[in-house]
Amino acid sequence: MAMREGRQTIHRRVFLRAAGAAAGAAVASGGIPGIVSAQKAPSFPKGTKLNVLEWVSFVPASDVEFKRLAGEFGKLAGVDVTVDLINMNDLNPRIASAIETRSGPDIIMMISNWPHLYADGLADVDDVAEEIAKRDGAYYEHNKKVSVVGNSWKAVPLCSVPSTWAYREDWFKEVGASKFPDTWDEWRKVGIALKKKNRPMGQAFGHSLGDPNNWAYSVTWGFGGAEIDQAGRVAINSKETLEAVKFTVAVWKDCLDEGGLAWDDSSNNRAYLAGTISATINGASIYFVAKRQFPDIAKVTGHGHMPNGPGGRFYSIGGQGRAIMKYSKNQQVAKEFLRWFMDRPQYEKWMASNDGYVVGPTPFWEKHSLWEKDPKLAPFKESVKFGRWPGYPGPPSRKASEALVKYILVDMYAQAIKGMKPEDAVKWAESELKKAYA
Amino acid sequence: MTTVRYGSRLKRAVTFHVPLVLMVGATLFPFYWMVITSIRPDRELYNVQMNPFFTLHPTLKHFQDLFALTMFAHWAWNTLFIATVSTAISLSCGLLAGYALARLQFRWAAPLGTLIFVTYLVPPTLLFIPLGDVVKTFGIGDTPWAVILTYPTFLIPFCTWLLMGYFKTIPREIEECARIDGASRLQAMIRISFPLAVPGILSAGIFAFTLSWNEFLYALVFLSSPQQKTIPIGVFTELVRGDVFYWGPLMAGALLGSIPVALVYSFFVEHYVTALTGAVKG
Amino acid sequence: MADHPVEPFLAERRARAAVAAPVAVAVPEVRRPTWLGHLLEREHVLAGVLLAPTLIILAVFIAYPFLLGIWLAVSDKVVGRPGAFVGLENFRVNLNDAIFLRAFQNTFVYTFIATVLKLVLGMGAALLLNHHFRFKRIVRASMLLPWIVPTVLSTLAWQWMFDATFSVFNWMLMNVGLISTRILWLGDGVMAMGCLILVNVWRGMPFFAITLLAGLQTVNPDLHEAAEIDGANAWQRFWRVTLPLIKPIMLVVVLFSMIATFADFQLIYVLTRGGPYSSTHVFGTYAYEIAMRAAKLGQGASISLFLFPFLLVVIVLQLWYIRRND
Repeated sequence: MAMREGRQTIHRRVFLRAAGAAAGAAVASGGIPGIVSAQKAPSFPKGTKLNVLEWVSFVPASDVEFKRLAGEFGKLAGVDVTVDLINMNDLNPRIASAIETRSGPDIIMMISNWPHLYADGLADVDDVAEEIAKRDGAYYEHNKKVSVVGNSWKAVPLCSVPSTWAYREDWFKEVGASKFPDTWDEWRKVGIALKKKNRPMGQAFGHSLGDPNNWAYSVTWGFGGAEIDQAGRVAINSKETLEAVKFTVAVWKDCLDEGGLAWDDSSNNRAYLAGTISATINGASIYFVAKRQFPDIAKVTGHGHMPNGPGGRFYSIGGQGRAIMKYSKNQQVAKEFLRWFMDRPQYEKWMASNDGYVVGPTPFWEKHSLWEKDPKLAPFKESVKFGRWPGYPGPPSRKASEALVKYILVDMYAQAIKGMKPEDAVKWAESELKKAYA
Repeated sequence: MTTVRYGSRLKRAVTFHVPLVLMVGATLFPFYWMVITSIRPDRELYNVQMNPFFTLHPTLKHFQDLFALTMFAHWAWNTLFIATVSTAISLSCGLLAGYALARLQFRWAAPLGTLIFVTYLVPPTLLFIPLGDVVKTFGIGDTPWAVILTYPTFLIPFCTWLLMGYFKTIPREIEECARIDGASRLQAMIRISFPLAVPGILSAGIFAFTLSWNEFLYALVFLSSPQQKTIPIGVFTELVRGDVFYWGPLMAGALLGSIPVALVYSFFVEHYVTALTGAVKG
Repeated sequence: MADHPVEPFLAERRARAAVAAPVAVAVPEVRRPTWLGHLLEREHVLAGVLLAPTLIILAVFIAYPFLLGIWLAVSDKVVGRPGAFVGLENFRVNLNDAIFLRAFQNTFVYTFIATVLKLVLGMGAALLLNHHFRFKRIVRASMLLPWIVPTVLSTLAWQWMFDATFSVFNWMLMNVGLISTRILWLGDGVMAMGCLILVNVWRGMPFFAITLLAGLQTVNPDLHEAAEIDGANAWQRFWRVTLPLIKPIMLVVVLFSMIATFADFQLIYVLTRGGPYSSTHVFGTYAYEIAMRAAKLGQGASISLFLFPFLLVVIVLQLWYIRRND
């Protein structure tokens, strides 16, 4: 597991340790903040560059804040930091190309279980990750599970972007629901009443990585089913999964907007803001756009938790992390950057700029003041406790990724909705999963 | 230019005007929609009941946003530069290669011809990773040259082949007459065959330019900083944020990214005629 | 073009050209050819010189990636790990994969239908545009717009036009009274394929139109006049005069368009991403998902290249056909 660092970097490390030791105990444990507080300039060779690749955040303000923080670090460390932002979906080809050509950004954002997928191209970041956990408390399980491959940390958990049910409080009240239903049966009753009034709920079943999987995985787990068991054997063909599928087919007709088969991640946002649906699973993006452009809708929008099923209450959350690329010649700088960024003063600012769209990777951030500011965002904060990763209860391996990108679970539900017998749909999913997990 | 005689005016209407109007209508309908969307205020965009065909409150805000929130002007310049240079390279290579394969007899003609076109069979969605290696080796990553030099890989085969087809339609005898009169092979090629192939050159040029203008994957992977992006990449990656699409600026970007090119094309398309009548009627 | 009714016209054209050539070209005084000039008179030398730039660019930028692409297809390479040769294992896995088989079917259906439509409509458009009429210039330029707009962006526009909630087509049809419940354009497997073909034809037809127009422009109008004098009607004139003359160009355009459509990726990716329930996957999109999102480069390559042998044969035949008319 030798890291590909040259002699120069080793010398740098030695220098840093020496400089740290010279500056006192505070420095040795505090990295850059320590050095700054000890009034000693960090010693990276002049002209060191650090390139960070991230997704384009749905909240533009957080991109601005991140770039600002990156610039601040650059000044502190005497390093030239550049940040590139592209779509979440377009990160994969960039990452693949970077790993294969062994050149490109030093730090790349990892979404969900990508650390498992790209493990061979990522450097170990155990020191940084564990340091943060020691200081802020243990990570949420899903964040940890997706970031640890084998015995090493391959990414530093950054945050989660949870989803909850955005719903029209006013319309729900009209049909007698004073709060969001807590069980699937209650949910269905409310849904039936709403659809009768031409206000169905909305759910995507198309080929998009976000919203469709929020139903497919959460509902399957909620009814007690799972793709694989803890040992990694395909376990989808069960009574519980069948129940989940049958339930979905029933509510498709009773409660859901039937355009959902064609929906991608953005369709439900549009439909909700146009007033054609009364509730949908989504991140906080609907609420934010509403606050800015459709304040009347924002006023009557609330957020509810995924209903409780016979198997429990679950959310499909992968979490986000930041990984340092193995080919990077600036791994030390990168680690310092991550340490500095995840440190409380900086992270606090970044989280505030996200305005509730993200949740921190450790329970420490549940205390952030922004959660007090808008109580409607509270469910997002709580949702991470029920968060699970693709492949749960098995490991979030690259096989789980294959199942994800083949949309096996989503298609299982979609085909059943389209008319396939639920038993056949489940059997189909089983054979597909067996091939993916072969 | 063909002048076709018609019988009655009705016949003319039915066989010409009606199909023409239908064709233009069907082709441009989405653009009409795009124009309306780009000048329509956000509130109206999300209103399902509203008539999608006109708006009573047109706004230029989306166009302003496009320039204010993104580096659109930069991208337009990048795209123009990249497309022009790639086209020039591909067209030159294609012209020479097409002539050689169509006209000249030499031993390796068939296998070389096949080889050039076979490279077209490997799709960009597969090629971009090994190409990334080549780009890195030459140190041209994140510069326009990364794409200018990789675009010809899919432009040259088509230009070559198309021009081969054009050269085939020009009778050999024309050249042979010139050579009898004393022109060298090279002169016959340049003075006689090339001018006659101008319509082919223009359409190959249009094809190459448009494909470069439009290209997504290589530009996505090889150009990383915002200043280097091209219009498709820039507009798409910065105006589609997660699950929120900024429709107004997106459509504004689409329009601004295509109408100027269409205007330039209109100029070239007319050249077909002048060039041709000049060459044939002498 | 041996036994063509166009033969007499062609002979006439040659004769005209033979007369025109010396007049059209200002041939310089005959000089004694230089050594270089001598060299370039030899066909294979000239050919080498002309082909050199092309071969160099392709060799540097594609020979290695091309061979690597082929190697990937027969390896088990995943991102970050070196791959090992596995022979045809990837192809075997593909043939057992229901999604792949669906993608196989879809690719052929998509390509053939779209190409035929583009050819027919493109030909029709070219014939229409080959006239002189007011606004001719603007019409010809605007016809190119679907082709010019960056595909990602125009496809997004179509996505909205087909959107389950906002579709402008639904709005029109409902307001006219033709339908009472909205049509879910992209929500049904067959209908979604139809939409994809529609968008592909919309985007690609102008290219056929303009290229075929250029071909039509090379047809001497005197040929048409002569045929008309001989009693041929419009259809016969088209079928027996025009069509044979533009066949080489037509074949080139059709073949390239077909190959490009077989590998089409962007359009489907943006519009449906292979959904609903994987019913619109084509080779390009499925290969991308496997190679990029599951990081299985070898498997993805085998999907992309599945048609390679077939297309290779087609290209060889095509090339032979073009060269044989010499």
